[in-house]
Amino acid sequence: MVGLTLKQVRKNYGNMEVLHGIDLDIKSGEFIAFVGPSGCGKSTLLRSIAGLEDISSGELYIDGALMNYVPPSKRGIAMVFQSYALYPHMTVFENMAFGMRIARVNKAEINRRVRQAADILQLTDYLDRYPKALSGGQRQRVAIGRAIVRDPKVFLFDEPLSNLDAALRVATRIEIAKLKQSMPGTTMIYVTHDQVEAMTLADRIVVLRGGDIEQIGSPLDLYRHPANLFVARFIGSPAMNIVPAVIEATGEQTLVLLASGERVAVPVSTPSGLKSAPVHFGVRPEDLRLAEGSGIFGGRISLIEQLGEVQLVYLDVEKVDGPIIVKLPGTEVIHVGDVIRLDVDPQRIRLFDSGGMSVA
Amino acid sequence: MSTVAIPVGARPARNPWVMLGKGFLMALLVSAGVLVLYPLIWMALGGFKSNSQIFSDPFALPNRWSFDNYVAAWNLGVRNFLFSSLLVTIVSTITTVFISAWTAYGLTRTKMFGKPVIVGFVLGGMMLSPTVALVPLVQMMQSLGLYNTHWALIILYTAFRVPFTTFLIRAYMLDLPRDLDEAAMIDGASEGQIFRKVMLPLCRSIIVSCIILHILFAWNEYLFAMIFTNQIDVQTLPVGLTSLMAKHGTNYAEVFAAMTISALPIVLIFFFTQRYFIRGLTEGIGK
Repeated sequence: MVGLTLKQVRKNYGNMEVLHGIDLDIKSGEFIAFVGPSGCGKSTLLRSIAGLEDISSGELYIDGALMNYVPPSKRGIAMVFQSYALYPHMTVFENMAFGMRIARVNKAEINRRVRQAADILQLTDYLDRYPKALSGGQRQRVAIGRAIVRDPKVFLFDEPLSNLDAALRVATRIEIAKLKQSMPGTTMIYVTHDQVEAMTLADRIVVLRGGDIEQIGSPLDLYRHPANLFVARFIGSPAMNIVPAVIEATGEQTLVLLASGERVAVPVSTPSGLKSAPVHFGVRPEDLRLAEGSGIFGGRISLIEQLGEVQLVYLDVEKVDGPIIVKLPGTEVIHVGDVIRLDVDPQRIRLFDSGGMSVA
Repeated sequence: MSTVAIPVGARPARNPWVMLGKGFLMALLVSAGVLVLYPLIWMALGGFKSNSQIFSDPFALPNRWSFDNYVAAWNLGVRNFLFSSLLVTIVSTITTVFISAWTAYGLTRTKMFGKPVIVGFVLGGMMLSPTVALVPLVQMMQSLGLYNTHWALIILYTAFRVPFTTFLIRAYMLDLPRDLDEAAMIDGASEGQIFRKVMLPLCRSIIVSCIILHILFAWNEYLFAMIFTNQIDVQTLPVGLTSLMAKHGTNYAEVFAAMTISALPIVLIFFFTQRYFIRGLTEGIGK
């Protein structure tokens, strides 16, 4: 069953178009994350779904019903804001009950639903407090509680963790994951610029850039098979290493000549038309390892970030701009200034054409 | 980093210059207080004296504490003036603050065509001089049959104070986060409910300031009250007191008593609400 459908959704502010025809199908009960850099339109897209922004053209369906002209409160959605947006003059209980009071739900029912939500979120002891007497994490839980009591079909999160400190962010992320498990029928859409949140929480990730969808897929799909250079660089931390290269031979295997001067055989077939075409050779930091033989390339270590379990090694490679980053086991004994050679499982190599689209 | 050990129970050393500065400041504030309060007290005391004592012994305490002058002033018309002032002040305060708050909400929270022009138009009302508008206003009130009624003053006070009050509330509302109304919108609140249940409670301190400012204005307003009313049962205190002085100019004791009665409510209001008043204004201006 389709939970939510966007058809050619566009959004203009005056003459500036910020969403360029978004097509998206979200299944009922799915957890979707919108990720992308600042200004990519992810928040605008979320607010359009919520009804806080008008859609300039295109159609939005929730549960099969056209929602373009339906007011936010009638769309069956609930939203958790980045700033929490709690009513400062109301207690936690009143904050959660506000929507139901407006809808004239009877008192016993309001009481039951608020207490149930408070129980799930461990807020029962705080129901009489005002938001200013709560910590950031508690406030965010109240905001989530206010959304839960609405019993929405679609749950919208607008960067809900970005105002929390690092430890609390992890804890609240886990709470959201649990919440998702306890509400299997509820569709959730989560906007974030933090790819770790997107990777850990989402069933599918939508990567946006400049008002267009770059790729939609499961977290692992995006990680292993990025559709283009942008996604390859955006998903994964540290980012994928990109080395300019030229295709020397096509066929069953593709032979590429790296800017650093080495030749690498990549086990993918490419059409003969691509011979001598410039490409981007991509390899993730964790897929590189110290070479026993000559390896694919080498360089001098300029910096080591020791994280204990692993160490991030920054390598200056001749004729390659910017450092090549390698994730090596923390136990490997190496020093800044050492010259090392690296090897890679050829299966893990990604090639992108000059337009940035994935070749392999 | 070094720390300075302060013996338990010891006071920090007293710097004579700081002491002197503090003493000087205190003296300045006390003098300012006396300067403001003494005339008021002198006036109130004058109401207890006889007319002859006011002239013979202006700075002494009254010979006899009697409310005769106050009672006489009350019966001479102060009762009517006080009633008119209360009515006009209360009604115009309600209308002004309500209209201004609604207008400010509309100007800060809704999408409308040509909003900057409308904002300019509303706030431009602050530039309008009441004196210049007098003649047309008199004609207008006469043709509406409102001349020499309380309504004339209520309407004029409201019309002339809405721009300024809107200006204050609007500035305050601009600082309130939009997320709150959006959250309320998703919760299903109508515009009216967002205004009543979310915005108004959040604007409480600026609303209280505006109420006090309007009361001060309406209670003391003289020009419109003098021109648009001419009978004892419609006139407000400032105009009534002037006519009382004209009629009973020789009996200063009664005039002092009347003035004291007229000043009392406003002094009390300010006394009890000054905390809100000052906070609301400072918050509204620069948060």
